[in-house]
Amino acid sequence: MTTSLQDGIRNRVQRIESTPTIPTILLPLLKILKAPPESVNVEEIVRLVGYDSTIAAQCLRMAGSPLFGLVKPPKSVGTAVLALGTRRVETILLTCCLGQAFSSRNWPLDPSAFWRHSLGCAMVCRKFSEKLAGADRERAYTAGLLHDLGFIVNCMAFPREFGEAVKAARQEQIALDQAEQATMGFTHCDSGRALAENWKLDEDIAQVIAHHHCIDETESSHGLVALVHLCDLLCRMRNLGYGYYERTKADLVFDPAWGVLQQEHRDLDGVDLVRFTFELDDALGAIQDAVSSIFTAGAALSG
Amino acid sequence: MSSGTSVGKLGSVAAVNDPVNPVYRQIRDLVYKVSGIFQIDDKLYLLADGCGRRMKHLGVRTPNEYWDRLTVHANREPELRELLNELTIGETCLFRSQPQLDALRKVILPELVQDKTKLTIKRLRLWSAGCSTGEEPHTLAINLLEESQGLLKGWQFEVLATDLNDRSIEVAKAGVYGDYALRFTSDYIRRKYFVPADDKKLKVRDEVKKLITFSRLNLRDDSKVLFMKGIDIVFCCNVLIYFDGPAKQRVIEHFFSNLNFGGYFFLGTSESLMGLNDRFHLIHFPGAIGYWKPSLKSGKL
Repeated sequence: MTTSLQDGIRNRVQRIESTPTIPTILLPLLKILKAPPESVNVEEIVRLVGYDSTIAAQCLRMAGSPLFGLVKPPKSVGTAVLALGTRRVETILLTCCLGQAFSSRNWPLDPSAFWRHSLGCAMVCRKFSEKLAGADRERAYTAGLLHDLGFIVNCMAFPREFGEAVKAARQEQIALDQAEQATMGFTHCDSGRALAENWKLDEDIAQVIAHHHCIDETESSHGLVALVHLCDLLCRMRNLGYGYYERTKADLVFDPAWGVLQQEHRDLDGVDLVRFTFELDDALGAIQDAVSSIFTAGAALSG
Repeated sequence: MSSGTSVGKLGSVAAVNDPVNPVYRQIRDLVYKVSGIFQIDDKLYLLADGCGRRMKHLGVRTPNEYWDRLTVHANREPELRELLNELTIGETCLFRSQPQLDALRKVILPELVQDKTKLTIKRLRLWSAGCSTGEEPHTLAINLLEESQGLLKGWQFEVLATDLNDRSIEVAKAGVYGDYALRFTSDYIRRKYFVPADDKKLKVRDEVKKLITFSRLNLRDDSKVLFMKGIDIVFCCNVLIYFDGPAKQRVIEHFFSNLNFGGYFFLGTSESLMGLNDRFHLIHFPGAIGYWKPSLKSGKL
């Protein structure tokens, strides 16, 4: 990619940052997420959420979804933190904030398919990391949730060009990143990286955003990037893609990412991938419900 | 499909919906361990339904008591087989798994055509192993015919269909199906590939039938299975669940050697190979899972 193209993406991304629809609490929340877990102050989170009653309500509803382990919604954010732990509540909040962060009016990409894929990938990353000893589940969730952030940039900053890419991907039944590269000369990985830099996201999340389609270019956090790459593929193969048929197949165990992940997690070969796939199908309904209740409402509010 | 009524009668709906009563999930896990069949939560009612029919037959009153029948009772192994029968009964119909058929037409056939494009004889051979009353081979033949003026123009193709049961094969050869077997068959396909038969049933047209060779074959008969050579794709849905570990392993080994390099193997939609053969590659297609015998040029053998 040329320097002028990189600068062009950065310029447009800066304009997105100033968009007034981003909830006030999103950027401070991202800052909290960067801090080590032991230094996080629960009261600070509760106070932050108190600024936005819509997000607080959505957070409680989300915490009561089977996806997050509680049978019914907790009564307050404080209770949710007690029941689920600080880090899980942070990820729930992040999920809710993102759903409201951007106006999805006139997106070339179906917003509900986008959120379904993002939340689906987040869930699958967490479920998969539960199978691997020592893996950071909530980090995996966050990485899965944010991996395709670049699509939002493309929807908002490059709507016409990205619209052409989406159309081509649907018509030819190919992956969106291939269509982006062919029609725009860059992909959501490039524009996502620019947003990650602007928002000063952690380097491991920035690596995931930038390299989940080309893991051999990963500079650090190789295991996390590989995990998201595999889970993204798996989602697209199990009805959690972008709402159109991708004429493709995935040989996950022989994907280079599997080897990378295996270097960090020797227990990877013990994962029953077929059963994991079937179990993933179990979560589809709950993911759809969560998307409907959180993101659709959020999009309507901000759109 | 099973109706929800009998589930209700047995009171299993409450058990399925009740996360503190894990007995159906326990049975689900046992069935998976023994047969490779996995019932997702949304389909646990089918498992409860099947258990209910067996419980009624045995005079067993509670799911927990039935769990004992499957695990500690002297007749646990025959009972497990009976339960597997219940779980797969009535599953057969034409066009049962659209994601598998999409994988066939949109991904696999273009790949095989590309791989074989330099061969002088352009031929594809599919095998429906355990074809029962013929729904699967007829579906496959229709799908191949649908590609005959496009991707497969100028190609020869055939479907070998085998089953252990002579009576099933006779029904399959007749190719006459009622509404239930045709519930996933579109009007377009009905008009194009079927003619009216007695009792409001439909009969498969001869142009479909002539692509299929039906024969009796016992998959346990090694000497006969060895002769099934040059296969491009094997479909063997809900058949291997009746085989014990070593027999299943042997049959899968045969399938591997029966297949051409670059060929594919499909099980039932809820069925797993359970790691019984590590030479097959597990392949995910959109909405479907298959197994691949690597092609020579892939370097993945």
